[in-house]
Amino acid sequence: MFIEDSPHAADLPLAGCRVIEHSGTVAAAYAGRLLAAMGAAVVMLEPPAGSPLRTAPPLLQDTGHSALFASLAAGKHSLVCELGSPAGRRMLDRQLENADILIDDTPLQEREARGLDRETIAARFPALVHVSVRPFGASGPKADWDGEEVNLLHAGGEGFLLPNGLCYELFPDRPPLKIYGHFSEYQGGAMAAFAALSAFWAAPDVGGQYVDVSVQDAVLAVGAFALQRFGDGSLEHRSTRHFRYGGVFEAQGGYVELLTLEDRQWSALVELLGRPVWAEEEALKDPLERSRRGDEINRHIRKWMLAQHVDDIVRGAQQLGVPAAKYRTPAEVIDGEHERARGLFAPLMLDERVRAEALVAPFQFLCTPLRAAERVPALGEMAHESPA
Amino acid sequence: MKAPLAGVRLADFTIHAAGPFCTQLLAQLGAECIKIESKARLDAFRKPHAVYGRLSAATFDQVSVNKLSVRLNLKQPEAIALAKRLVSISDVTSESFRAGVMQRLGLGFEELRTVKPDIILVSLSSCGQAGPDSHFAGYAPLFGAWGGLGWMTGYTDGPPVEMRHVMDHSAGIHAAVATMAALHQRRRTGRAQHVDLAAREVASAMIGDALILASLGITPARPGNRHLSMAPHGVYPTCQPDRWLTLAVRNDAEWLALLRELDQPAVASDPRFATAPARLQHSEELDALLAQWLGACEADATAERLQRAGIRAHVSWSMLDIANDPHLRMRGATTEVSAPNIPPRAAVGAPARFSKTNEVGIRRLTPTLGQDEDYVFGELLGLSTAQRADLERREVIA
Repeated sequence: MFIEDSPHAADLPLAGCRVIEHSGTVAAAYAGRLLAAMGAAVVMLEPPAGSPLRTAPPLLQDTGHSALFASLAAGKHSLVCELGSPAGRRMLDRQLENADILIDDTPLQEREARGLDRETIAARFPALVHVSVRPFGASGPKADWDGEEVNLLHAGGEGFLLPNGLCYELFPDRPPLKIYGHFSEYQGGAMAAFAALSAFWAAPDVGGQYVDVSVQDAVLAVGAFALQRFGDGSLEHRSTRHFRYGGVFEAQGGYVELLTLEDRQWSALVELLGRPVWAEEEALKDPLERSRRGDEINRHIRKWMLAQHVDDIVRGAQQLGVPAAKYRTPAEVIDGEHERARGLFAPLMLDERVRAEALVAPFQFLCTPLRAAERVPALGEMAHESPA
Repeated sequence: MKAPLAGVRLADFTIHAAGPFCTQLLAQLGAECIKIESKARLDAFRKPHAVYGRLSAATFDQVSVNKLSVRLNLKQPEAIALAKRLVSISDVTSESFRAGVMQRLGLGFEELRTVKPDIILVSLSSCGQAGPDSHFAGYAPLFGAWGGLGWMTGYTDGPPVEMRHVMDHSAGIHAAVATMAALHQRRRTGRAQHVDLAAREVASAMIGDALILASLGITPARPGNRHLSMAPHGVYPTCQPDRWLTLAVRNDAEWLALLRELDQPAVASDPRFATAPARLQHSEELDALLAQWLGACEADATAERLQRAGIRAHVSWSMLDIANDPHLRMRGATTEVSAPNIPPRAAVGAPARFSKTNEVGIRRLTPTLGQDEDYVFGELLGLSTAQRADLERREVIA
């Protein structure tokens, strides 16, 4: 299945691409992480005290390592650079002279003092792709607003719509709920990586340029379907944005996600349920009727699920072609047979002693497999490799 | 000046949400995207969608903007031959079938490589091209369930939460990133590439930190709206019904600024809240106080005031807010679209702003089925009118 022509570093998709990353936010760091995973040489410029992400939770209790930073910095290089100082500015210049892409999330009002403003960079490094990644972008009336993940998920419209389904039914009076971790910032980071590579693609024709990426924009982009529904005349709300039937179900030993969108999947579900009398009613062969009577259908399915073991449900569903999945814990994911077979995880040294495992990349290149990052860079490690 | 991806051509076999979102992003940045479909296998937006409560086809479909539509009935060998000709003149071929379907159709990677030696094939699926689960079909909520993001999302005392279209589209962005990397690789080396993106693995990437903890035997907790180092942090009621304020206070200075803005100076000396660790320890009391204070405030004005004071705050926005927001509109993140059958409405525009290659964004709306066959079959493939009529009659083009 896997086609390996000749896997070595020069064969990686982004071999030869040189990226300078100056990041204090997850979005910019994730952009750099994606590029590093595909073979770009990514240098993080860190202040003498280290990137604030080095101390961002979740932290390992005994060693203090940030699991978040480890997941974002794996495979990058670290160079300490005090951008406020003349020496730091010289170091920045040297780095940028040899770079293809700069990813920066410095707040706009601080950029000039650090030599990272758009005009200075464009004048000095006309071939450089300069990517700005800010919570609300670098232009527009709210460019100077700042935001953390919780603010951005809601500024982009998805936060207002969560939770839905079972969780909303159980807790209708609680405030809206965010997605775990840094979902919005990951979207912003992925969009920044996409925009960076697109501008880099155009560089032979137009040279370097400035690219303005906003995390809020990226959240809205992935939430585009809700804006489409708004244009159709429905304002989505978490109380009503549930599947008419299907969704999250509690079972013995865990939770199941079940979603049947096609008629054949509904028929297979009826089979899975053991052809109960209620499900064999002629009227329910009509998908519109099923939608109308979704609550009733879900009551039946819930009762059935509660009496079954999650693993049995999922196994049976898969045999019959019913789209169903177990809600897997992180431990189940990292030990997953499928993930292991695909090589999704690889050892990662958090320092010289602590060996964890981390996700290699959320995509594979079958002709030139990616190489797992082996370690998280120590602060300023590049000073020991090649004195700046 | 032109768009960054002008001159890049895609043969797009993807349907539903995740794959089309990827190719829509590429098309918004200027790529020419040829959407290959058929009346026998209509894409989701061309049909009613009862489970979402949509009773007719969509008039506007975000993920098909800028795309050209042609029909090919891939059950016919001649249609496969035409599909291969489209692949041979395209830089990138994308597909979102279940693993193995492209091979069965005669459109597998090795087969396509014979007609396009430097092909970039992007396969986007729920579980990937290989591995014991690779034959599983799925939708966004299942990606989240398999990948662990669904488990980690939820109130600490509640069930896991299902991910919706954002999960599909997140997979689509990641596929677009990988597509661009493969294009750079081809430019540099001239070689073919097969990108294998499993949407469930994108869901796993969204819990990368929790997976590192799990690998060390630590069980990460489901935090809900709480943050492990910031307090207050969360979503709070205001004086307006269902108008919530999101707030993230990162340090003691911001906490004191918040107290000033909310006119609560006495609380500054309360030892329960004096430091971040203390505030985290007393976060329930803190959240109750915030709910009380903010419950007397107007949401939008408070968000603006707090931002001016250097505190991260934003109203929880509905799509009504987003459609009307001047900031997003000025950035081109939203744009107004309309057509004879589409009254003016807001749509999502270019994913980024480019200083030079700035001709990005929506150029055309949802194509009707097969509307671009004159250009694609006639001009690009050089089929005569008679040949096309014959192929239509025999339901090869159908």
